[in-house]
Amino acid sequence: MTKLASSPGAILKGLGVGLVSAVGDVMVIKHSKPLPEWTKSTKSKTQELEDLKSAIEYVANHLDELGQRAGGTSAEIFEALKVLIEDEELLEVASAHIEDGWIAAAAIGKAVDEFSELLGGDPTFDERVADFQDLSKRVQARLAGIEMALSIPEKGRIVLVGEDFSPADTAQFTEAVVGVITLKGGPTSHTAIICRSKSIAAVVSCPDAASLENGDRVLVDPVGDRVLVSDDESLATKSIEFVAVNSEPLVPVRANIGSLEDAKAASETRANGVGLFRTELLYLSAKTEPTIEQQVASYTEILNAAPAGPIVVRTIDAGSDKPVPFLNMPEEENPSLGVRGYRLIAEHRAFIEGQLKALESARIASGREVWVMAPMIATAEEAKAFSDLARSIGGYKVGIMVETPSIALIVDQLGGIVDFVSVGTNDLSQYLFAADRMNPSLGALLNHWQPALIKSLARIASGAKAAGISSGVCGESASDPAFAVVLAGLGIDSVSVSKSQVAAVHNALSSLSLADAKEVANAVLNQVTAEAAKATALSEIASR
Amino acid sequence: MSVIQGQVQVLDPIGLHARPASQIVKLVKESGLEITIGRNGEEFAKANSALRLMALKIASGETLTVEIPTTDQALADGIITQIQDFLKGD
Repeated sequence: MTKLASSPGAILKGLGVGLVSAVGDVMVIKHSKPLPEWTKSTKSKTQELEDLKSAIEYVANHLDELGQRAGGTSAEIFEALKVLIEDEELLEVASAHIEDGWIAAAAIGKAVDEFSELLGGDPTFDERVADFQDLSKRVQARLAGIEMALSIPEKGRIVLVGEDFSPADTAQFTEAVVGVITLKGGPTSHTAIICRSKSIAAVVSCPDAASLENGDRVLVDPVGDRVLVSDDESLATKSIEFVAVNSEPLVPVRANIGSLEDAKAASETRANGVGLFRTELLYLSAKTEPTIEQQVASYTEILNAAPAGPIVVRTIDAGSDKPVPFLNMPEEENPSLGVRGYRLIAEHRAFIEGQLKALESARIASGREVWVMAPMIATAEEAKAFSDLARSIGGYKVGIMVETPSIALIVDQLGGIVDFVSVGTNDLSQYLFAADRMNPSLGALLNHWQPALIKSLARIASGAKAAGISSGVCGESASDPAFAVVLAGLGIDSVSVSKSQVAAVHNALSSLSLADAKEVANAVLNQVTAEAAKATALSEIASR
Repeated sequence: MSVIQGQVQVLDPIGLHARPASQIVKLVKESGLEITIGRNGEEFAKANSALRLMALKIASGETLTVEIPTTDQALADGIITQIQDFLKGD
C-alpha cells in the first residue's frame, strides 16, 4: 500500500538543487487563479465605475508602498507607474467601456490594451508597455479578489511549495525561506539558479509535492533528490564527503560573475580567475549606449577586482527575450532560436567592436590576463569571423561558447581558429533536447546527468584535445561537485561555477586523482538514464 | 480667454517618455489650468494625461509648443521653464 504523499515518512521524488538540506514548515503558494473573463456586467454602471476606481486606488497605494520601501531611483519608477495607472484619460476610456455595459475588469483591460497599442512599436516604450500591462492585470486581479503579491513572513523556517517561481516571485523571498519545492521547473530554471546562489535548500520537478499542505513539516533533501515528510534533519542524505588530499584541484576552478559586486565576492573565494564574465548586465539597464570610455572604466574596475587568474569575458549575450534598450531588437516568434549573442553582429557590428575595444583598453589598464569569447556560435565560419575580428582589435586569447549542437559536433575542427571553447551546458541542453529552458514542464530533460549531454561533453573534450585548444564548462552543471569530477574525467580543462559553489567544487576536485576521475567518467558514460548516471557517479566516487 | 504660448525642446535622449510625461502631468494638475502640448500644425494633447503625452511619440530633439490658458505671463513663464527642465534628461 502506498502512503498518502503527505503522510509522515512519505518520500517525494524530485531533482535536488545544491547541497544544503533544511527542515521547515510548508507554505503553499497557489498558482494564481486565472483573471476574470471579460464579460458584460450584471451590476449597475455606477457600481462598476466605483469598483474600478477603488481597485485603481488600491494598486496605486501598493505602488506607493513599494516605492517607499525601494527608495532612490526605483521610487521614481514606481511613481511614474502610479501616474500611468491613475491617468485621467485612461479612466475616461475605461468609463466609456463601462457605459457600453462591460464589467470593470474588462473596461480597464480594454483601455490599457488601446493605450498599449498607441504606445507600442517604439522600442523605448516597449518596456513601459509591459509594466503598464502588468498594472492592468493587478487592477483586474484586485477586482476579482485575487492576491498577486506573495506575502511571505519575515520570521520562521518556511519551505515554499509552488508550480514554479518567477523572478518577480523570487525577489520577494525573505530570510525566513529556508527551502523551496517546485512541482515543475528543472535544474536550470530561474528558481534553481536563485536557490543555488542563495544556498536555499531546493528540490525541483517534484510533482508529488502537490499533496503538501500549509503547515506540513518537511525535510528538503536535495542531495537525495527528494523531500521527506519529516522534521528529522538527520535523515538528510549526506553529500559525499569529499576530503581534499591534493593541494590543487585536477583542473582550475573559476568563478562566474556579472558585476563588480560579483567580482569582489568571487575574489574572497579560492576561485582561480573568472571563467564566465557575463557582460550584458552592464547594458541591459542602460537607456543609451555607454560610451567607450564608460565601458573601459567599468571593465577596468571589474578586472581589477576579479580573483587572481585569467578572466574569460563573454561578449554581449542578448536577444529579443533579453533586449538591450538601445539596440533595436524586433520581437521574434522564437527568441532562443533567433538573433541573439554573436548573431547581433549583422545589425550591430559597431557595438560589438566597441565592446572588444573597451575590453582591450581595460586589459591594458588593469594588466590582467583577459580571454574573450562570443556566445551563440553555430559554425566554424562564425568562429573564424569572431576570432579574426577580436584578434584585429586586441591581444587577448580568443574563444567561443559551445551552446549549439552544431558547433559541439565540430570542436575538433576549430584548431588554429580559436584558443579555447567554453561549454554553456544550460543552453546546450536546451538545444540538444529541443526543450525550452523557460518551460517548467520540461525540467527533467534539462537534468545535466542526461546521458546525451554527458556524451556530448565527452566529444567536446576529446575534440578540443585533438584540435590543441583548451575546453571549459561554465554552465550550472559544473557547480555540482560530483559532476565537476566527471567533467575533469572526461578531459575538460577547467570549470567555472557560481561563487557560492567554488569551495565545494574545489574540494571535490582536490579529493581524487585524475586516473580515478577518468574511471568515474567512463563508468558514467555507460549509463542510459540520468538517474543511473548520477547514482553511478556517486557510488564510483564513494568507492575511491 | 487668452492663451500664452511657449516653446520647449526635448533634450532627453529617449524622447518624451514616462518619467518626464508624469512630471509634466503632476505640474499641470497642480496649476489647475487646462494646458495643452503638441507639435506645431498637429492636434495638441491635453497635458493632464501622461498616456496622451507619451502617445504623441515625441523624439529627442523635437520642439514642442505649450499652450497655457492664462493672462499671467510670469506664471506661464514659470510653467514653461519647469516643463523645459523635465525634458532635459539626466
